[in-house]
Amino acid sequence: MLDKLSVTMVHLAVNRPKAVIWSMLVSTVLIIGLAAVPSIWPNQFPYLNAVAVDTDPENMLSEDEPVRVFHQGAKQRFGLSDMVVVGVVNEHHPQGVFNAESLGRIYRLAEFAKQLQWTQGERQEGVISVDLLAPSTVDNIEQGGLGTVNFSWLMAAPPRDDTEALHVLERAQRIPFLDGTLVSEDGKALAVYLPITRKDIAYRIRSELQAFIADWQAAGDQVHITGLPVAEDTFGVEMFIQMAISAPLAMLVIFLLLWWFFKKLSLIVSPMIVAMVSSLATMALLIASGNTIHIMSSMIPIFIMPIAVLDAVHILSEFFDRYPQFKDRRKTIEEVVQTLFAPMLFTTLTTMAGFSSLMLTPIPPVQVFGLFIAVGVFLAWLWTILFIPAYIMLMDEKRLEGYGHQAGEEDHSLLGRSLAAAGKFTVSRSAVVLGATLLAVATAIHGIGKIQVNDNPTRWFEAQHPIRVADRVLNQHFGGTYMAYLELSAPEEKVIVADADLIEGLRLRRGEGVKLGNAAGPYNAMIDLAEQHDGDQPLIAALNDAAALGLDNAGEEDYYSWDDIQLFLDEQRQRGEVFKQPQLLRWVDNLQRAMLENPNVGKVNSLPDVVKTVYRELQLGADEQFRVPATANAVGQTLITYQNSHRPHDLWHLVTPDYRRSLLWMQLTSGDNRDMETVVESLQAFIDANPPPLALEHNWFGLTYINVIWQGKMVTGMLEAFLGSFLVVMLMMVILFRSLLWGLLAMIPLAVTVGLIYGVIGLIGKDYDMPVAVLSALSLGLAVDYAIHFLARSRDAMADCGSWPGAVPRVFGEPARAISRNAIILGAGFLPLLAAPLVPYQTVGIFIASIIFCAGAATLLILPALVTLLQGMLFKKEVSPCSTE
Amino acid sequence: MFDRVTRLLTPAFIALLPAGPATAAEQPSVDEIVHRTNKTAYYQGKSGRANVQMTITDSRGRVRERRFTILRLDQPDSDAVTGRAYNGDQKFYVYFRRPADVNKMAFLVWKHIDRDDDRWLYLPALDLVKRIAASDQRTSFVGSDYFYEDVSGRDINADQHELQEVTDHYYVLKHTPKDPDGAEFSHYLMYVHKTSFIPVQTVYFDKNGAKYRVANALNVETIDGYPTVTQASMEDLRTGSKTLMRYSAVTYDIQVPEAVFSERHLRRAPTKYLR
Repeated sequence: MLDKLSVTMVHLAVNRPKAVIWSMLVSTVLIIGLAAVPSIWPNQFPYLNAVAVDTDPENMLSEDEPVRVFHQGAKQRFGLSDMVVVGVVNEHHPQGVFNAESLGRIYRLAEFAKQLQWTQGERQEGVISVDLLAPSTVDNIEQGGLGTVNFSWLMAAPPRDDTEALHVLERAQRIPFLDGTLVSEDGKALAVYLPITRKDIAYRIRSELQAFIADWQAAGDQVHITGLPVAEDTFGVEMFIQMAISAPLAMLVIFLLLWWFFKKLSLIVSPMIVAMVSSLATMALLIASGNTIHIMSSMIPIFIMPIAVLDAVHILSEFFDRYPQFKDRRKTIEEVVQTLFAPMLFTTLTTMAGFSSLMLTPIPPVQVFGLFIAVGVFLAWLWTILFIPAYIMLMDEKRLEGYGHQAGEEDHSLLGRSLAAAGKFTVSRSAVVLGATLLAVATAIHGIGKIQVNDNPTRWFEAQHPIRVADRVLNQHFGGTYMAYLELSAPEEKVIVADADLIEGLRLRRGEGVKLGNAAGPYNAMIDLAEQHDGDQPLIAALNDAAALGLDNAGEEDYYSWDDIQLFLDEQRQRGEVFKQPQLLRWVDNLQRAMLENPNVGKVNSLPDVVKTVYRELQLGADEQFRVPATANAVGQTLITYQNSHRPHDLWHLVTPDYRRSLLWMQLTSGDNRDMETVVESLQAFIDANPPPLALEHNWFGLTYINVIWQGKMVTGMLEAFLGSFLVVMLMMVILFRSLLWGLLAMIPLAVTVGLIYGVIGLIGKDYDMPVAVLSALSLGLAVDYAIHFLARSRDAMADCGSWPGAVPRVFGEPARAISRNAIILGAGFLPLLAAPLVPYQTVGIFIASIIFCAGAATLLILPALVTLLQGMLFKKEVSPCSTE
Repeated sequence: MFDRVTRLLTPAFIALLPAGPATAAEQPSVDEIVHRTNKTAYYQGKSGRANVQMTITDSRGRVRERRFTILRLDQPDSDAVTGRAYNGDQKFYVYFRRPADVNKMAFLVWKHIDRDDDRWLYLPALDLVKRIAASDQRTSFVGSDYFYEDVSGRDINADQHELQEVTDHYYVLKHTPKDPDGAEFSHYLMYVHKTSFIPVQTVYFDKNGAKYRVANALNVETIDGYPTVTQASMEDLRTGSKTLMRYSAVTYDIQVPEAVFSERHLRRAPTKYLR
């Protein structure tokens, strides 16, 4: 069946080359048009999908992932927005940024930032001015003379002199919420936080800010604009730079190497065309099907290119070697395609299987990545089989003259001689090769044990990138720029106080009330009502209604009783406001202190801090009064005093109005998920050692925490996907070679390559991050490719020669050359990725090159050594002695 | 903005407003309108009391309630707008009842025409009377969308007043602060009912010229002969929070001694007058 397919295809290509080329061009242009047209004219083609970029790291998890659902819910509950952070550092002035001039500029910056708003469609977009954190927009509470408390803006107007400027710092440092967040702990730097309505306006906000601060540098202020939304937008831009520069550069290098190996410019254009057509059509399909360009999907062309070139190089290489024998291109091509069709089909299928396996991971961008690479690999195979022969057919036959190796000619090139030597060596010293392999594998296993799973989207930028510089500088000065949020919540309860307790409470209240001279009648009425209560309505609600009615109709004599009853009922309601309970607030305070002992936690903002600060200022500002007051009422009154400010809604960032959920906002100095994991552990350790005074749930959220979750999913997901596809590929190998042993053999270079690559990653301490994780899929494609070609050709050679030692020189002739050329061209072709501005691409570049070299070496060294060792089992039939043509 | 205004300024609502003597022929001066409005809003009668139920609803629909009683005593003996005789110092006593944890909390204001107000706060659970520094009155009143200044009245001399428009039923006043840095708004518009001088709607504009804060009178009753707003709201368009105030048991010209409005009476609430 395969033979029939191969004959049909090659005949189609050879007999109707023009039709093949036209159909490739037309189909590709159509597919590209499907994506390009709606991107250029989005309004005219609303039913088609335009290019959409997605740089949100949250999207590493699907939108309905519980941690994201919780994250979104909690963000709304506490009114949290994404922030653009403007850090200002002054290293020239002795008072740092706290001098009159710098603060004057920052004052104007805040005024400017408040106006960064516009209407987009129906919505108001821009900076959320009410939540802007700047010296002129946050409240200060302090002593205002004897027995007086003063609520005012921290910096109502630009300071008139440096002394006033220093006062701004001193005031802010006394307010825990501002110290380490707005003003740096060392007193040199200041950060302004601009909450924005949507993440994707960050670029516009940043551009406006950059224009505004253009002359600050000259005045001595260094300004760093950062924050997650800024990083994301910048990342999006650089992703396109990468696709526009790095990918074509890789292509150029591959092209130059091809030229060097095959000399015929006109011939080697064809693999480049196949690579280009497959990559472009795949990307166009990705866009047209409504998928986004993401950090992962932007790497698709880089992955498709080598695989496409790889297929084409096999054909060219074979053609290069065979043409001199036939001197007839039609015959040569037919012969070449016959020989290569099965191995190429199988390598394509195994590569597709490898990448399709990524669809088993729970990470949507990785799924899309795997699926479309599989599509691209298929296109590359299709056009290699059809287009390359068609292309050769349309060439001027004269230009093929003098092409390739002469028949029977010894290959005296360095590559040829090395390969011949390698062939001899692997046969004569097969035990040495295998021993060395085992040693390497053992080392690799040791290395794999040391692998650290870790990622941090900020570190996707290079170390000297402005975003990374800002990150470093701001983390030096402030509590930390990575946010992790912890929600503590009391479980929902329908009934806060049991009915029996309510009745008992009313009786007690009656006793006290009557002693004070209140009429007993209303109390009795309520107790009667409570005792007879039944029905769906909760008792407390029924009592509240009755009390409201009683109070409204109260006469002179029973007014105080009704008022007292209503007060009692409201007190019962407020017992559910657990985050006003001093006991709980003190526990949270201790928790906060315990968290600060973790070196990754730079700063924690919490409700107890607010309570303690306001309480201290109410108590004449004495430091020893920085504490949680003794009663829930005192807490309630302290908080209502706090809300007499310019920003009463600030409280709701830390606690919900029902006081049943509270937020701890932690500033971490690192966004590595490994570090976040230690923070999670610190919390658990504290809770285990100090159980909360009442039942509480705790839930983490925020991007730093989401990263932990998707990293975890990625590791297990990738491992499962890899093992699954390993088995599938192995099964395919067994079918291809119709032998279990040969099938297993074909998997050896892959297993060794993957083992070595991940072993090295573990040994050199490179974090196992997203790009590293997907590399295993690429190894699957490439390493098996080499093994198939090598083993298939070995069997052919055996069929001709009869003995393995006799077949070795043949195998280490053309087939080994094709594999080595392949490895060299592709490996070198990926090195330009090292020039990419984003670290994940650099990682991919260096590791793809390593995988290719490693897979090539493993195939050419380990496989012949193993075949030598196992030849008795592998070749059972006696065959005719080796014939030379 | 105007959709909201026109919705409010419907005949049904206008019918609530007292007609008053029709002196249609004469158009009062801007100054006259401003003072008549100021008197209607803050100075009716020589004194007064009201129970207030305050409902604060945030953008997510979460509700908080406050209940308090306000006592007021005007210093001038006259209630006359002529010669600005009404416009003098005032004293306010605000006694909180709910939520339960702020029960007995009290707030005292001595409003002065020629200088900063004196303000005190009593926190019973802390057994503490604090004087509040007179820095800024445009801060939230107990966490609501009203400012302290909205409760006791903004100094009319702080703004420049223009009559922007006269409609069938309303004078539209534009108030611009004399000291632009002293307030967060660039100006505010007030829709004053022509015969009753009730400010039916007040709209605040920020320094970008965008409307961000709206006060509405939602219900008017005539009590003791005075047109009285018995339901009012304040909405912050930036935070999406809205505060509703419902007044009940409103009385004017009560017999309350001046001594009640003293620091001493913060700790010992004058229950007799608060009932």
